Amino acid sequence: MTPVPGSIPEPALEGASADGRGGGIPGSLTPEDLIRSKDRFRVHNARQGRRRWYLLWLLVGPGILAMLGENDGPSMISYATSGATYGLGFFLPFIVVTFGMATVCQEMCMRIGTVTHRGYGQLVLERFGRLWGWFAAGDLVVTNLVTLVAEFVAIRIGLAYFHLGAGVAALLGVVLVLFTLSGGRYWRWERIVLGMAIFNGLFLVAAIMVGPSWGSVGRAMVTFSPFPHGSLNTLLLLVASTIGATVTPWMIFFQQSASADKGMTPDDVRHGRYDTVAGAILAGLFGCGALIAGAALATHGGANIQGLAGAGFPGALAGVSGKAVATVFALGLIEAGAVAVLTISASTGYAVGECVGAPHSLNSSARGAALFYGANIGAAVIAAAIILIPGAPLLSIALNANVLATVLLPVALVFMIMLANDHELMGRWANGRTTNRVAIGIVAFISLCGAAYAIDSFLQAVHLI
Amino acid sequence: MTEQEHDLIMYLERDQLVSDRSRPVPPASLSRRATVALWALRVFVLVTSAMVVYTFVSQL
Repeated sequence: MTPVPGSIPEPALEGASADGRGGGIPGSLTPEDLIRSKDRFRVHNARQGRRRWYLLWLLVGPGILAMLGENDGPSMISYATSGATYGLGFFLPFIVVTFGMATVCQEMCMRIGTVTHRGYGQLVLERFGRLWGWFAAGDLVVTNLVTLVAEFVAIRIGLAYFHLGAGVAALLGVVLVLFTLSGGRYWRWERIVLGMAIFNGLFLVAAIMVGPSWGSVGRAMVTFSPFPHGSLNTLLLLVASTIGATVTPWMIFFQQSASADKGMTPDDVRHGRYDTVAGAILAGLFGCGALIAGAALATHGGANIQGLAGAGFPGALAGVSGKAVATVFALGLIEAGAVAVLTISASTGYAVGECVGAPHSLNSSARGAALFYGANIGAAVIAAAIILIPGAPLLSIALNANVLATVLLPVALVFMIMLANDHELMGRWANGRTTNRVAIGIVAFISLCGAAYAIDSFLQAVHLI
Repeated sequence: MTEQEHDLIMYLERDQLVSDRSRPVPPASLSRRATVALWALRVFVLVTSAMVVYTFVSQL
């Protein structure tokens, strides 16, 4: 039986059917099940009707959101700082490399979520015990809170260019979280955030508007040069920040949980890969855009901008490249912070719900998944409140958030690789040998960079070097 | 449940139902080597995190 697109299907047989339907048996069904089944009905019809672009439209989301969500306020400030400090050189292709690493990691967690229909926190807790599950969730909640503060800082920096204060930034972020959660449907939440995330492209617009030397951009991309010089600590901070700007624990929690919440199945893995790769390409382009825009300041006292940790970027760009570029850059920072507030809050909700064993779905009502919604909103409210504290070291938090995420990342990645290799869970979708080699190499590289920065900074702090 | 809802639910895989997802998967059996490696990882992360936090606080 092939349902007619847009119509209500005919009565179905129980059990898995030959026409690609799943065959869930109504038992103790929840409203969440019904909402998800409507989404799957549309996917089924698109697949049966061979409407390829519509099918792609239905299935994209978690990958693009994870990648563009990670092109957040601190990340864009970090990229622009690299550009302002070192100009067009090593860090430009390095951004592309880090998004390559992110693609490998995110493809794995998409595959795990799609095959097991379970979130990362739940699987770690159930497969490896409560200690590891809570460690992973605790690690995530801490880094998420710090990162959320940094997102509000980015929104505040962007709004400050338009002479608006911290109160507006805090209110904007919290209202956005409440608005997107108000529908009680994953699909609605995802489409609103996707619509907002497209404006991450403002950084690419800013890059084009500053009129860079495209020859220099091409040379830097091919040769990874000029290699940055200066203090080892500053270099390590920027390397760790750049990695922390592209591969983070919240992305792993988010994409795996969102893939499961969206209702993706193993039939959708190919489209999940398209989604992840498309997200990485867009995020890489826009990230490079932020660096190129920042590089316009390199020959105009860019090093001084770094000292302000990004607070002066829009204003400094106005002086060098004009008010239009500064306005676009400031709007980009507001967008980057706002989208990340939504995705990072959601990942916090997923992690808490999964580890406690409480309902955790955007397809549930607020009453049906109170803890999930509470953690989601609570994380945003706490972060918003922190930026209203007079004298809080917000700019230092913004730059150090990515570094902390980098240091805590190896645990999340190791468990993800173990889950992706778990044949009991993954069956034929388990990692192959090549994927494992690449993934293990990535974990080793990230661990090394994080540890090198941590040790170097610590030795300086205790005046041993 | 209406007949339409009954039909729609068949588009979910059985293990996508909330009742099925809530059922825990069995714990993994880890080798002694894997357990030791995971503990080493935990110590590594705690030590490096402490270093980053100390550095951050000392800069305030």
